[in-house]
Amino acid sequence: MTIEPQLILLPILIPLLGAGVALLLRKRRPYQAGWSLGSMLLSCGVSLWLFVDVWQTGRPLVWQGGGWLAPFGITLVADILALFFVVMTQLVMVTGMVYALGSGDKAVKYPAFLVLFLTLCTGLTGAFMTGDIFNMYVFAELLVISGTVLTAISDDKFGTEAAYKYFYMSLLASFLMLLGIGCLYVSYGTLNMADLSGRIQAQPDGLLLLPAIGFLLATFMIKSAVFPFHFWQPDFHAASPTAVSAMLSSVVVKLGVYGFLRMTFLLFAAQAVQMRGLLLVLGLVGILFGGLSAIGTHNVKRMLAYSTLAQIGFILVGIGWGTPLALTAALVFAFNHSLIKAAMLMLAGFVASRASVKSAAFDVVTGVGRPLPAAGLLFFIGSLALAGIPPTSGFVSKLLLFSSGIEAAAFWPLLILGLFSILTLVYTMRAFMRIWWQEPAAGISTKPAGDHLLAPILLIGLILVLGIWASPLVEAAQAVSAWVADPAAYVAAVLGN
Amino acid sequence: MELLTALTIGTLFAIGVFQLLRRNVIRSAIGLVILANAVNLFLLTTGAYLGEDPAYATYTGVGQRIADPLPQALILTAIVISMGGTAFVLAMLYIISARYQTANMDEVDNLKN
Repeated sequence: MTIEPQLILLPILIPLLGAGVALLLRKRRPYQAGWSLGSMLLSCGVSLWLFVDVWQTGRPLVWQGGGWLAPFGITLVADILALFFVVMTQLVMVTGMVYALGSGDKAVKYPAFLVLFLTLCTGLTGAFMTGDIFNMYVFAELLVISGTVLTAISDDKFGTEAAYKYFYMSLLASFLMLLGIGCLYVSYGTLNMADLSGRIQAQPDGLLLLPAIGFLLATFMIKSAVFPFHFWQPDFHAASPTAVSAMLSSVVVKLGVYGFLRMTFLLFAAQAVQMRGLLLVLGLVGILFGGLSAIGTHNVKRMLAYSTLAQIGFILVGIGWGTPLALTAALVFAFNHSLIKAAMLMLAGFVASRASVKSAAFDVVTGVGRPLPAAGLLFFIGSLALAGIPPTSGFVSKLLLFSSGIEAAAFWPLLILGLFSILTLVYTMRAFMRIWWQEPAAGISTKPAGDHLLAPILLIGLILVLGIWASPLVEAAQAVSAWVADPAAYVAAVLGN
Repeated sequence: MELLTALTIGTLFAIGVFQLLRRNVIRSAIGLVILANAVNLFLLTTGAYLGEDPAYATYTGVGQRIADPLPQALILTAIVISMGGTAFVLAMLYIISARYQTANMDEVDNLKN
């Protein structure tokens, strides 16, 4: 069956319209909750359907906005790379919505919470699917504003401070992105990514090409919290409401990863060697810095936020090696990291919701987990997955990454990757022992009720399934990496010649 | 004209970055606003020198070099987005200054502990 290209609008339109209707339903909480969850599920189902179709036919779906053909109109391109990230995002965001609905946070009860959650999904999906670099800026702004507001209304009393910090950095990132877009436009006279790719290859000595590359790299580094631009990230991810921080630290940081993939394989394929070298070094520094900082923290959520720095580093190392196997590994790693990190942050938030003071600081949560063995088991499996130990999906991603490193004969990076994978186990096990093994200090008791465990159960279940039955994910990632390595096919599909 | 525009944009960037790095949260918010305008002017110049006549309005099709309308559309979008962003920054600043009773950035650091 052939799919009409208009249908690729659905993963963007369903959450957006869902957000509009959810705003109208703000006075009727049960309807709003049901409606929002329904639109997330529908949108996730549609994007999965589109992904399977594009995977099987091997042809991307391209929608030319308003009938204006590329490169003049705004194009939405649902190629397999974009849809891979869209499916990942929406899958995790469905569980995030489930967690939010079962959460006891005050922030979740705000009438606009679910609306903003849906616009967050819209912004992320749109930024992945667009084929126009300015359109990507617009969707990224939607994402940033939604994420900031969701953090500013957090129960954590420092939520506003964290949100301010993040918003300040994001505004800077969007200025950098606009500068990069301006540089590209003045040098090549187009904003369509496929058209840009062709023109940059035809004329690789454009006057403002290097500044444009620099600006865009910096933009995506801020979006992904890559090492020198990471300082806002642990504050921001630790202070936001649990359901939101699980999304921010898992799928929202993947926007930068997606940007790096598009930059090295499509836009600036001729300059990719130098960019890969930079990404490899920054990834390794991120692994070192994130891992060491995670050990030094006193708060579970903050520890997991620092761990995201390290895990993004692993993905960047995969992109930096740039071989087809390494790229497959990076994609599988990105997918699995989203599931694992979302589950771990939800479990940390679950424990915090049962602590006497609502906080994830080690002083407060020590021993709180003793009456909660189910959450302990889930956290333990999550820790194994984060460190890459079978039978979890984390093992598959680490195995692929290490074998691509052996193939690339990169000894020193491999040593760092190996050492810091073990270090992951050190800090997650420390948190596990403090929460579930140590005797609680005097006066600390576990509250009888808190957040719901359904969402982390779903995610950990998926992690185990993907650890044992890994072939669908790995094959999908192989298809994506084969597609990405051939930018001419993307250009031909978008420009239609 | 080119020189004047370039100097204006450069000066705006310099002032914007300088204000952005001040320790006062209000001043750094002003820096963000100035930087937004510098970026918008930069975008304007990317299409400024192709022609002088406005697109569509006075276009006759012969012997005219019309100005590129796309950067103007980009700026319009960027202005609207940065206006929303600025409004939100100011709202957050209001809450922060009320809660911390200070405008010094060094004292707004409760997240570190």
